[in-house]
Amino acid sequence: MQHAPPPARRSAPDRVGLAVVGAILLSLTILGGNIWLNMQAAGVTPGYGFLSQTAGFDLSESLIPYDAGDSYGRVILAGLLNTVFLAICGLVLATGLGVVMGLVSVTPSPAGRMIALLYVELFRNLPKILVLLVLYVVAVRGLPPVREALSIGPLHLTNRSIYMPAIEADARQLWLLLPLAAAVAVAVLWHRHARRIKRDTGRDIVVLPVILAAIIGLPLIFAVLADTPLVPSLPEFRRFDFDGGARLSVQFIVVLVTLGLYHGAQIAEVVRGGILSVPQGQVEAARALGLTPRHVTRFVVLPQVLRIVIPPMINQYVNLIKNTSIAIAVGYSDLMSISGTIINQTFRPLEMMLVTMGLYLGLCLVASSLMNRLNDRLRARGAGGAA
Amino acid sequence: MIPPNPPPEARSDILRQWAGTPVTALVSLVSAAVAISVTWALVDWAVISAVSPTRPIEECAGASGACWRFYLEKSRFMLFGTYPYAEHWRPALVSLLLLALSALVGLRITGRLRWLRPRMLLALWAGVIPMAFVLMGGGWTGLLAVDMSRWNGMPVLLILSVIAIALAFPLGVALAVLRHQTRRPVLRRAALVYIEGMRGIPMVTVLFVGVFVLPLTLPPDTRISPVMATLIALVFFHASYFAEDVRGGLQSLPVSQQEAAFSLGLSRGKTMRLVLLPQALSRSLPALVNSVIGAYKDTSLVVVLGIHDLTSTARMAFSEPGWGQFALEAYAFVGAWFLLSCAFLSWVGRELHRNQGARRR
Repeated sequence: MQHAPPPARRSAPDRVGLAVVGAILLSLTILGGNIWLNMQAAGVTPGYGFLSQTAGFDLSESLIPYDAGDSYGRVILAGLLNTVFLAICGLVLATGLGVVMGLVSVTPSPAGRMIALLYVELFRNLPKILVLLVLYVVAVRGLPPVREALSIGPLHLTNRSIYMPAIEADARQLWLLLPLAAAVAVAVLWHRHARRIKRDTGRDIVVLPVILAAIIGLPLIFAVLADTPLVPSLPEFRRFDFDGGARLSVQFIVVLVTLGLYHGAQIAEVVRGGILSVPQGQVEAARALGLTPRHVTRFVVLPQVLRIVIPPMINQYVNLIKNTSIAIAVGYSDLMSISGTIINQTFRPLEMMLVTMGLYLGLCLVASSLMNRLNDRLRARGAGGAA
Repeated sequence: MIPPNPPPEARSDILRQWAGTPVTALVSLVSAAVAISVTWALVDWAVISAVSPTRPIEECAGASGACWRFYLEKSRFMLFGTYPYAEHWRPALVSLLLLALSALVGLRITGRLRWLRPRMLLALWAGVIPMAFVLMGGGWTGLLAVDMSRWNGMPVLLILSVIAIALAFPLGVALAVLRHQTRRPVLRRAALVYIEGMRGIPMVTVLFVGVFVLPLTLPPDTRISPVMATLIALVFFHASYFAEDVRGGLQSLPVSQQEAAFSLGLSRGKTMRLVLLPQALSRSLPALVNSVIGAYKDTSLVVVLGIHDLTSTARMAFSEPGWGQFALEAYAFVGAWFLLSCAFLSWVGRELHRNQGARRR
């Protein structure tokens, strides 16, 4: 006998859930009320009006023009930009170090494997804050004061900053973004064109040189034609301090190196796992089919390694962004240490922590969704290629 | 017919390993150089240029190596900080209790000490945690009362790591179950928001909320010490990471487990408690151990809030005037402790992997 399918059950509203969430919200409201009372007692009214007040403290470094007379809002923006800058440099350094050490850990060389193992184990078993504090003490004590700067060519190392040559900033340089955008467009179009030709005729045409030429050449031609000022500036010692060029504080360098070493070790493990996961038989089979070693890496090993490695890599990158906040321990002016300073000055911990956590959450969400989209596209293309 | 040439003799294995290709040779060369120079620097620092502990501390002034006398003079300070000197047995006892209990749990989950029932471990935790606070704080049964601001060094590190992790674990399991179940969508959504939100922000921000915002949420004229506030913040923070690990275990279970339990007539609660959770927990143990290592190491971030855990007392030990030259000695002490304790945790993790591999095969 055939049973009729049971009638679709309308799911009852989740009364218990609503009640629990309601209770949580109620207790949060009570806690919020306490905050209000406590702040009133201290003579402060909660609110975000203070963001437009004068901050009154100076920053050791900032990517945007900033002085002590600017508002709290602007100092938070400067801190956010410093955090982003630190995170981007950290990603590059950690990825480079991690990939190299990951590759070294699978070489046949026993010495190489041992070094890679020691590196990974050391930095996976030490707290990052300890690494940071040690590097900071070593840098501040080991590097000379500014008068006796350790100079390597145009680089000058001191115990406060590192000075290097740069190009003098000028507002007109912003126009260079136009040809750069055009170059990126050219590169994308040329890449598609090459793919189409490859699909239709099987011929390979030059891709990388064209793209490089566009990205370097177009802005260069534009700069010459439009007479954009690109004046190199070298750091020079004047009486008390270096002048000209660019400077990175020791705090920045130390945090950057810590993040690079710490996450480099994690990334090395990820890379190692990815490479070891490709069975040796596949490499041998591909070789037996007559593929060159380069093609084996390009078409057999790398696609599989990337597939395994990218998701944990995204995880590492998001962790790295969050871990930039350890900069507060040495006083690099990142988002976290600036919000700490503001809390001390204004007695507005609730407002400032909401802003700070929101910004970090936003940064992490933006970064992870960008990288996940990239990953999806890579996967889709890999699947299309296999079909 | 011309016989084919015999193949060339295979190169000796050692040569092929060390220098099979030019790249390998380069890697070997650079690695060997790094290894030798690092080993030499270490030996030079710890032995050759070091000053033996029998020499007076004044002799360290000109030495480039380790000053071992420093440890004689300062290890007790680095371990217990400004805790009243005559009462040092109390933080020492608390540290030993917490370490011993952690070691027991570690050994138990790798399949040793079978006689130790989970219920006994639970009872031990329930006893040791309040005891740690009573012993440290004192104030009754004739113990000298010690303010929390004088709790320093090792016991603070262990309270903020071991106790925070122990308290965060049940909360994490509860969150994982809430996020996994489908019967109460509102709770599921709430757990999701909580877990993802917590995992999207740095630990330092959570610590700041604990130390600066949490005291404000209390009724006027009530106080909470920074150590307690940090402990609470850490419990809520770590729970979100544990929740994800446990959820991974729950998701890896085949649906048939749940269906079989239902068809045996078990209620939802019993299915979860008796069938799903035990399996999910044992599957998520390796991931949990990883999270525990991370949480333990990150505990030292409390330095930025002026809480004096081990890293911080080490810093205090060389911050006094005249002691500044011993910064590396002090940090080496902390580093050695973390290497040692994390080695145990990593060993637990490896054992778990091995056991699980053996079970699957």
